[in-house]
Amino acid sequence: MIKKMLIFFTLTLFTFGPVFAALADDGPDGNHRKGKYTYRKVIQACHETGGVDSPTPTVSPADMTRAEWKQVFENRNFEAFGCQAQWDALSDQDILDIYAYFYEFAKDSPSPATCG
Amino acid sequence: MEFRRCKWFFRHAAAGLTVLCLLAAGPSGAATDDEALGMKLAKQAVRGDKHWTTVDHSRIEILNQEFTSGDQITRTCLTCHTDASMQFKETIHWTWKVPSEKEGIMNGKAGHAVNNFCISGNAMEDKGCLSCHAGWDGTDGEVNCLSCHGAKKFPFKETFADLAAFEGDDDPDIQEIVNELHTGIRQAVQNITLPQRSNCGECHFKGGGGDGVKHGDLDTSLAKPNRMLDVHMAAEGADFSCTRCHTTVKHHIAGRLYTRPAAAERKSLIEDDMASKITCESCHSATPHNANTKMNDHTDKVACQSCHIPEYARVNPTKMSWDWTTAGRLKDGKPFDEKGDLGKPVYKSIKGTFTWAKNVVPEYYWYNGSFENIGIKDEIDPQQVVEVSHPLGTPDDPNARIHPFKIHTGKQPYDKVNKQLVAPLLSGPKGFWTTFDMDEAITLGNQTLDVPYSGEFDYVETTYAFPITHMVAPAEESLECIYCHTRDTSRLAGITGIYMPGRDKFAIVDTIGLIAVLGALAGVTLHGLGRFFTRNGREE
Repeated sequence: MIKKMLIFFTLTLFTFGPVFAALADDGPDGNHRKGKYTYRKVIQACHETGGVDSPTPTVSPADMTRAEWKQVFENRNFEAFGCQAQWDALSDQDILDIYAYFYEFAKDSPSPATCG
Repeated sequence: MEFRRCKWFFRHAAAGLTVLCLLAAGPSGAATDDEALGMKLAKQAVRGDKHWTTVDHSRIEILNQEFTSGDQITRTCLTCHTDASMQFKETIHWTWKVPSEKEGIMNGKAGHAVNNFCISGNAMEDKGCLSCHAGWDGTDGEVNCLSCHGAKKFPFKETFADLAAFEGDDDPDIQEIVNELHTGIRQAVQNITLPQRSNCGECHFKGGGGDGVKHGDLDTSLAKPNRMLDVHMAAEGADFSCTRCHTTVKHHIAGRLYTRPAAAERKSLIEDDMASKITCESCHSATPHNANTKMNDHTDKVACQSCHIPEYARVNPTKMSWDWTTAGRLKDGKPFDEKGDLGKPVYKSIKGTFTWAKNVVPEYYWYNGSFENIGIKDEIDPQQVVEVSHPLGTPDDPNARIHPFKIHTGKQPYDKVNKQLVAPLLSGPKGFWTTFDMDEAITLGNQTLDVPYSGEFDYVETTYAFPITHMVAPAEESLECIYCHTRDTSRLAGITGIYMPGRDKFAIVDTIGLIAVLGALAGVTLHGLGRFFTRNGREE
């Protein structure tokens, strides 16, 4: 009996442990690669409507730290990018993907990246 | 009697004066009709637009596939350009080393060469240098044909990584992104060109760690220069690409100077149309100035570049010195940079202290086309300034000319016991840029080159010379005689072994001359006075 309980407990631990561990990760749950291209598309569209001067992004993930980006994306404060209206129109998943991209390459990440 | 003598005198004086005036006016009058030979030949060379292209690569079927790696792109190029990769891998642009005249020693970044910038490539184990290697992935794999032949810059590495990550994802958004990426790759692969200045410049303008650091006469200002910066590469003018002068034979590109000159002979193309175009003489001939001018008499002793490149780094600044002794200082435990006046960094924790300058007057030395280079295995005298690379040449060498150079000074580490320069490993997790431990960096670095290290290092002053040959100014901006043929501030003050009128003088000859002139004047005066006062009673 004890043996069965032990086996059951170990299996539960090994099944759910990794799940919890993954969820314990601080970062957003988006696809950062997709987020990079979504971001570029938004800026391109914004440029076409005259919202920003440059068709390529001028704001880079390496501009700010992860904590600072968390503030921006959780409060949906997109002033720095221009075209607030277009950003508001993005789906939650898209926002999450873009946030994942900025989080992955932020100033204090292992690999800060600039655009362009 | 008197009157006839006067008339005789005046007629002859008038005739003499007329002849003198005609002589003075003569030569300059003739020169304005004839164009200088050098200009005439050069104009012929750039007359008309030459189109050598016979193919539009976007119409080649095999280039319309979905590429997933750089090697795949190159293999596709090779289906038509069968020998290109084989040729290229034999050249120094791939191997980064070439045998020197010393046995067992290889010149080049992958060899035993040392400089006073980032010092050594550490047999290519220092991955930081490899971003300029012409392969897709460092020294492995295929040649990256597009680094030289791609008309459009494209982020291949990042794109291939993203494509690999998106593989098998059926999200329609991602499918759209994948299609766009493939289109982008195809467009970049089909946009093929003979190498443009921006292709060569991607590496050669930015060597040593940034724009304009190393050469002084090669930086991003040459991507689209105007005529004042460089008459040959002027974007609105002749618009030469690098390969116009740096011609290639089986991907061997002319212009390398380590121990052998870039060109074996100085010949103009009218003497030999297969001659290399790398020398000025090939298009301009050895007597390019207006006929009968003194300047044509200089071409056997003074290089064209000396007068025609009055200053280098005329638009972007260039680095003039690099002091490694101050490297390693940290702020709050982190490396930092400090910017200086010219907008360039003057201190970097990873590298040390720099100085920069613009509009720099070159230093001049005798130069026969070869350099003497100190490598990792050569013994040095740490009590003197070590000339890591200096030009060779003497006044009596018929191949030597006075040539302008950029001299970069530095302080770099050396082995105190073995008296040799050392090659610290810089990039990577164990390199100096991460550990800031110079002793460890030297230990690891010397190991890569199989050179023993005693464990004791110190710093020595060094210099490194670059020949200045680009940024040719227009003719009206070339140096005037007075810049060199002047007593005190001559640009050639450092050139010894020859006599230069205006700069040099023989004191004895001058003294004798002065005595002769003053003596003659004194003699005439005394004689005249003597005759006047001792007229011996003759009154007329």
